[in-house]
Amino acid sequence: MLLISLLAVNTFADTAKFKAVVPDYTLTFPHDYGVHDDFRIEWWYITGWLETENNKPLGFQVTFFRYATGQNKDNPSRFAAKYLIIAHLALSDPAVGKLMHEEKTAREGFDLAYAKQGNTDVKLDDWALVREEDGRYLVDMQGSDFGLQLSLTPTQMMLLQDKNGFSRKGPKSEQASYYYSEPHLSVTGTVIRHNKPVSVTGRAWLDHEWSSEYLDPDADGWDWVGANLDDGSSLMAFQIRRKNGGKVWAYAALRDASGHVVFFEPEQVEFTPIRTWQSPHTDAVYPVAMRIRTDEIVWQLTPLFDDQELDSRQSTGTVYWEGAVTLSKDGQPAGQGYLELTGYVQPLEM
Amino acid sequence: MKTASLSRWLMFGEWRAHYVQLLAVILAIALGVALGFSIHLINTAALNEFSAASKNLTGQSDLQVHGKQSMFDEELFPMLVQYQGVELASPVLEFDVVVPEKLENRRDHKLKVMGIDMFRATEISPDLLGVTEEGNQLDGLSDDAIFLSPAAMEWLQVERGDALQLRVGLQTITLRVAGGLVRARAGQRLAVMDIGVAQWRFEYLGLLSRIELKLAPGINHETFKVKLDDTLGEHYFVTESIEQDARVANMSRAYRVNLNMLALMALFTGTFLVFSTQALSIIRRRHQFALLRVLGMTRHQLLRQVILEGIILGIIGSLLGLAFGYAIAATAIHFLGGDLGSSFFPGVQANIHFSPLAAIIFFMVGMGVTLLGTIVPAWEAAQAKPAPALKSGGEEMAISKRSMPWFAIICLTLAMIFTQLPPVFELPIFGYLAIAQLLVGGVALMPRFAAWIFAFLMRIRGQNNSGAVATLVMARLANAPHQASIALGGVLVSFSLMVAMAIMVTSFRVSVEEWLGHVLPADLYVKAASIGDQGGFQLNEQKALADLPGFARVDFFRSLQLILDPVRPEITLMARPIDMSDPSNTIPMTDAMIASTLLPQDVIPIWVSEAMVDLYGYDVGKYVTLPVGMGSQQFFVAGVWRDYGRQFGAVQMQLTDYQTLTEDYSSNTVGLWLQPGTTASKVESVLRQLPFGDALEISWSGDIRTLSLQIFDRSFAITYLLEMVAVVIGLLGVAASFSAQTLARVKEFGMLRHIGVKRRQILALLAAEGGLLTGLGIMLGFVLGWSISLILVFIVNPQSFHWTMQMHLPWGWLTIIAAVMLVAAAITALIAGRHAISGSAVRAVREDW
Amino acid sequence: MLELRDINKAYGEQRQVLVDLSYRLKAGDYVAVMGDSGVGKSTLLNLIAGLDTPDSGEILIDGVAISSLDDDAATQLRRKDFGFVFQAFHILPHLTLVQNIALPLLLNDASFELVEQMLADVGLAGRGHDFPRQLSGGELQRVAIARALIHRPKLVLADEPTGNLDPDTAHDILMLMRQEIKANGASGIIVTHSHAAAATADYVLNLTKHGLQPATSEHSE
Repeated sequence: MLLISLLAVNTFADTAKFKAVVPDYTLTFPHDYGVHDDFRIEWWYITGWLETENNKPLGFQVTFFRYATGQNKDNPSRFAAKYLIIAHLALSDPAVGKLMHEEKTAREGFDLAYAKQGNTDVKLDDWALVREEDGRYLVDMQGSDFGLQLSLTPTQMMLLQDKNGFSRKGPKSEQASYYYSEPHLSVTGTVIRHNKPVSVTGRAWLDHEWSSEYLDPDADGWDWVGANLDDGSSLMAFQIRRKNGGKVWAYAALRDASGHVVFFEPEQVEFTPIRTWQSPHTDAVYPVAMRIRTDEIVWQLTPLFDDQELDSRQSTGTVYWEGAVTLSKDGQPAGQGYLELTGYVQPLEM
Repeated sequence: MKTASLSRWLMFGEWRAHYVQLLAVILAIALGVALGFSIHLINTAALNEFSAASKNLTGQSDLQVHGKQSMFDEELFPMLVQYQGVELASPVLEFDVVVPEKLENRRDHKLKVMGIDMFRATEISPDLLGVTEEGNQLDGLSDDAIFLSPAAMEWLQVERGDALQLRVGLQTITLRVAGGLVRARAGQRLAVMDIGVAQWRFEYLGLLSRIELKLAPGINHETFKVKLDDTLGEHYFVTESIEQDARVANMSRAYRVNLNMLALMALFTGTFLVFSTQALSIIRRRHQFALLRVLGMTRHQLLRQVILEGIILGIIGSLLGLAFGYAIAATAIHFLGGDLGSSFFPGVQANIHFSPLAAIIFFMVGMGVTLLGTIVPAWEAAQAKPAPALKSGGEEMAISKRSMPWFAIICLTLAMIFTQLPPVFELPIFGYLAIAQLLVGGVALMPRFAAWIFAFLMRIRGQNNSGAVATLVMARLANAPHQASIALGGVLVSFSLMVAMAIMVTSFRVSVEEWLGHVLPADLYVKAASIGDQGGFQLNEQKALADLPGFARVDFFRSLQLILDPVRPEITLMARPIDMSDPSNTIPMTDAMIASTLLPQDVIPIWVSEAMVDLYGYDVGKYVTLPVGMGSQQFFVAGVWRDYGRQFGAVQMQLTDYQTLTEDYSSNTVGLWLQPGTTASKVESVLRQLPFGDALEISWSGDIRTLSLQIFDRSFAITYLLEMVAVVIGLLGVAASFSAQTLARVKEFGMLRHIGVKRRQILALLAAEGGLLTGLGIMLGFVLGWSISLILVFIVNPQSFHWTMQMHLPWGWLTIIAAVMLVAAAITALIAGRHAISGSAVRAVREDW
Repeated sequence: MLELRDINKAYGEQRQVLVDLSYRLKAGDYVAVMGDSGVGKSTLLNLIAGLDTPDSGEILIDGVAISSLDDDAATQLRRKDFGFVFQAFHILPHLTLVQNIALPLLLNDASFELVEQMLADVGLAGRGHDFPRQLSGGELQRVAIARALIHRPKLVLADEPTGNLDPDTAHDILMLMRQEIKANGASGIIVTHSHAAAATADYVLNLTKHGLQPATSEHSE
């Protein structure tokens, strides 16, 4: 899951122009790997842990959004801003101590920026995310300070979240998205820093989600975690926080290595901050260490380091914390994942 | 130390006694410096603001890509985004739109609109990003959103959220003011929209004005530019911001340089005043200097003394001038705007910045002029033999050396040679030098002329017995011509400059008037609210117009802008029906043209304005290539015509040729000839009843003519002002030299009073002397001024504005200024002499100096 | 101190003014030169002052030939060793009396403490800050005498110093001039038409076409 940036955008275009997310839709593939232009917003989101040749850990995040402006429906111009493609690229290196990130935005058009139908194929100038016929994802993104060239190969089946990919986000049934995840992607490739390529290997998690209406008006933001556990199981959990405390909605799914999935109801999922960190950049206070309870299991999340805040106020305008975390269960290391904390600077709306 | 206090005593003693002359000199220097400095300040302020404003629009890009026509196919954009070495490419669509609510102001009803891609412009031109309502960042993409600079909001009287109506061709569309452009420069009127929306709503689909490029780090700009130039071919220009600046500067350069030159001329007139005042002061002090020499002051010390006086006057005058100049510039900018009403710098609000370097330069110029006016008299004072100088009556002898006819002849010869030289950096530098040489030469010849003419008059008068005063006047003027002619320097220079300017402006104005008659043959002209290069009338609208009743003839015109050289402003291409049997029926041709029957076979003829010949070498009979239609097309230059409207060049061609080449059948302007008996009001109502009648700009050619002449007069207002200042300086010169001379002649007048000449007669004598001298100055000034006007009309104007004109002499106006000058000089001489005769006559005779 | 050797001076071919003129003036002598108009009295003074050059012959001041000096050196000599009194006074109108008198001191870069004393000596005590226009002709000439002597010159040259004055005033001025020249130990040459004036000198010389000769008829005191 994720969302963002555009979440800061008022709903000036009325939702009626877009297709609603309905419970009885059956996701079909490869069609649903591709773009869904009828929906307001869509994203492909990859996070993961990498290891360099000398065993140094790195975290990375790659996100491509496709956003329908709801404008220029009849505009024949090739510059008409009907859809925007927004991409975020971030790298967490404990040696640097703060998140490195770059972002780009462009209108779809001229074959310079697009999200294609039929399979995952998203491009923004020279940044690209493509899913090959064999299921492999290729990421090629070079920013001004660093870049990634990664190949991500599935090692497990995809995971349809919630009710066969119909993922509720609130008490109303239309507050939902279509949502599938590809956990345990095996990563090889290079990280380029200071014009020097470094070979890396690692494990990643991909989410693809699309929706037209998302957040409840009472929502303040959300906390989300996706983790590849060491025993081959996968955990995803989120809660949508209510403005004056409490939660609007919560959800978790835990799939073991054999493919058995346990889904948790909102009341079974609980996020408890253990330690907070105040950003020197934005003054926002993030619960960077969390305890997450999924029914009887309690997971403890510890950040790779604190300053993994992504401040894109210069471009798309949002600020969130998106960081590599390690998970432990009963005091024992359990796995690695990514924690996302949004809405801590200003309430998100959608 | 002691000698320093000696020079101080001498200086202050002199100044205390002759503060009027002192003030006149200081004022003359100050006026000259003030004019030059203020014009410089105003011009730089306007130019800086203009280029800052245009830089604001182009942002921090490394390179820009332009088409040779003002717009080009957007297909270039994706190509450039992916081009090796390009880090960022930002597409820009720039055009002016008509604001219907402002239509009553014919010259000022357009708003500059820039279509940008906000995502790609962020890094290159952040100043152009609109500020939306809080948190509604993507509103800028809305299909009705437009952002306005504060100045534009003020001009249009709108705020965020208001509706704004704009003309597109024959339609009016309504947009919503989505926010402001907070970082636009003060006074800059500008609107920004999303490029996709702009292309769509303003009918520029598929077109771009330019693409701003930011290169990847480490890319060599020069190499990259050459490579890209090569890739893009001849239809595009790759320019650096520096060339952009050059283009902006080029647009107004001739105008600015000419103003500066006029200001220098005023300063130059001041030089003569300084010279004559200093010369006379030295003549008056001949005894004093001789005594000092006898008492033991060396030549060197004396020279230093006189030059020191000049330097101090120069310092005071120049400093005052700088202060005046700054004040004048600030006032002028405040009331007239940075273009002084000439509309060379539209849409900007200039602010004056004090530039120390310019101040130093103008200070030095002021000093130089003073020294120039001081050094010759000082040199002579130092060379004079002290013993004879101690005796009275030596003044004329001392000054007779100054006539220097060889010097005058060299000056005049140089002037002749300079008129034959070509422009330097496209500026008529030698033309101005020739004018300066003419003036110097004329002034140097003056004593000879005066002696000759007054001696001649004397001989005529001698035959009949005339009155005592007349005899005295004639005798003095004929026998002491040098002293008299010094007084004349200022009158001569200022009057001749005035004559020259008057002749030039009149010639220009009459030529423009005739030209307007020629270029506006139809009775009225109808324009679709202009949308840049897009033709407003499509074929069906053209048909509707052509079918209207009441018109004898309907012509369609198509005009657009082309860039032939990236550092020069655009040229105008006009396609219209041209009478092939004799193109001069349609176009105001010069003599350079080839008759249609003699044109080579299978050529497309074009007729070019004089500027095209000067700037691009489009001589008659040449084959030239213009970016018209698909690819570049070869044309044949069939003639040269006069164009006072576009100093950067214009080309005319047959409308049918244009349409064949481009398949563009649209038109921007329609010329309509009335059938006899049709009234103006009827015609207008017929036109207004057309479906697109509201969007038509209807102009009667009479109105256009009046308006054009008004603009003409406005842009020459500043030159009239400069002329006035030159005249004031000239009269100051008369005042200074007459008061100096009458003071020097106190004894003479005292003696005359002793022997029974009445006070009134002495006043008459002074007035007569002043009048006669000025009369001679006016006569010679007229000849000199006429010669200068020849240079202005046939050299300076063609070289700086690339147009020629016919000579026309404004006799009435010239007579009036001559009379005014004459009376003013006589009165000045009278006033200056008045207190010379007010003192005791007895004492005057006894006084030795 | 002054020696004239075979001086010839002509203005054009027609007017031969001085012919083979020779004379020797002793230091401290105050001599009057008389002669008809046009005989060359002023020319003689100009030649001695270095303001004009003889066609031939030599003028020596303390053994130094003036004609061999360039303009600057001659000027320096005038500045230091000469004092001048003119018929037309030649007092600068825009300077005060003090300033006028101090001119030679300024030119010689000397201090001018003595100016007030000198003013008193010529009978103008307390009027140092007046301007020349406030003075009568006699007073003006007193200023001129003060100016001629303030820098203690070796030689004072006076050209018709009383020509513009009435006889009584003239007498006062002549006596003052003689007194001051003697008091300052200078030599003096006074050129005049007036026998009364000439009588105030130590002795009188007649300038004629044949040279300078002691006058026979008069002898003063």
